Amino acid sequence: MLAHQMALESPWVQAEMVEAMEFPELSDRHGVSGVPQTTINDGAGHVIGAVPEDHLVEEIRRALKN
Amino acid sequence: MAEKLLNENIVSQIREVFEQLDKPVEVMFFGSMADCEYCDDTLQLAGEVVAISEKLSLKEYDIDADAELARQYNVDKVPGLVIAARDGDQVTDYGVRLAGIPSGHEFSTLIHDLVLVSSRESGLSQETRRFLQDVKQPVLLQVFVTPT
Repeated sequence: MLAHQMALESPWVQAEMVEAMEFPELSDRHGVSGVPQTTINDGAGHVIGAVPEDHLVEEIRRALKN
Repeated sequence: MAEKLLNENIVSQIREVFEQLDKPVEVMFFGSMADCEYCDDTLQLAGEVVAISEKLSLKEYDIDADAELARQYNVDKVPGLVIAARDGDQVTDYGVRLAGIPSGHEFSTLIHDLVLVSSRESGLSQETRRFLQDVKQPVLLQVFVTPT
């Protein structure tokens, strides 16, 4: 998966795949409704759906600016 | 002996995918003696998967008994899996983790993660790699999925 590829590429990136139903509190906190949902830095950014590489890059870039 | 979770047909399909495996990979399993509905199945599943290739190994840990190691690998959920590179005795963490049982769609992610870490190559585009080279602060990506 894309997030895991990014983790492999960068020592600064960690990527965790979370089975939403097993961790309902965390999923609720991030308002997970559709999957996959990618949450960046505990809510600094969100991406819903399986998106292309450049889209996820843009969202990370935006989340890091905040 | 517990019944196998993976049937022969699945095992032979995985074996084909695992022909792409290059360098050794260590799967670190973190479970808990406390309430953990999916720990036993996840451990069994990971065991059956690593048994398919000599390039894969599995280490079993407890999030409480091995709390320091869990912190080191940023594991705060059980069952938790860390897909790490192994070169001899050296284990390298790339920050590739799974929380919860990797069944259904997540199972194929596990299989592909093993191939990915084994290759030590992200396979990302030049543009993405250039962007990531400039990232000098922690980024945590949490990808929420469901088994169906």
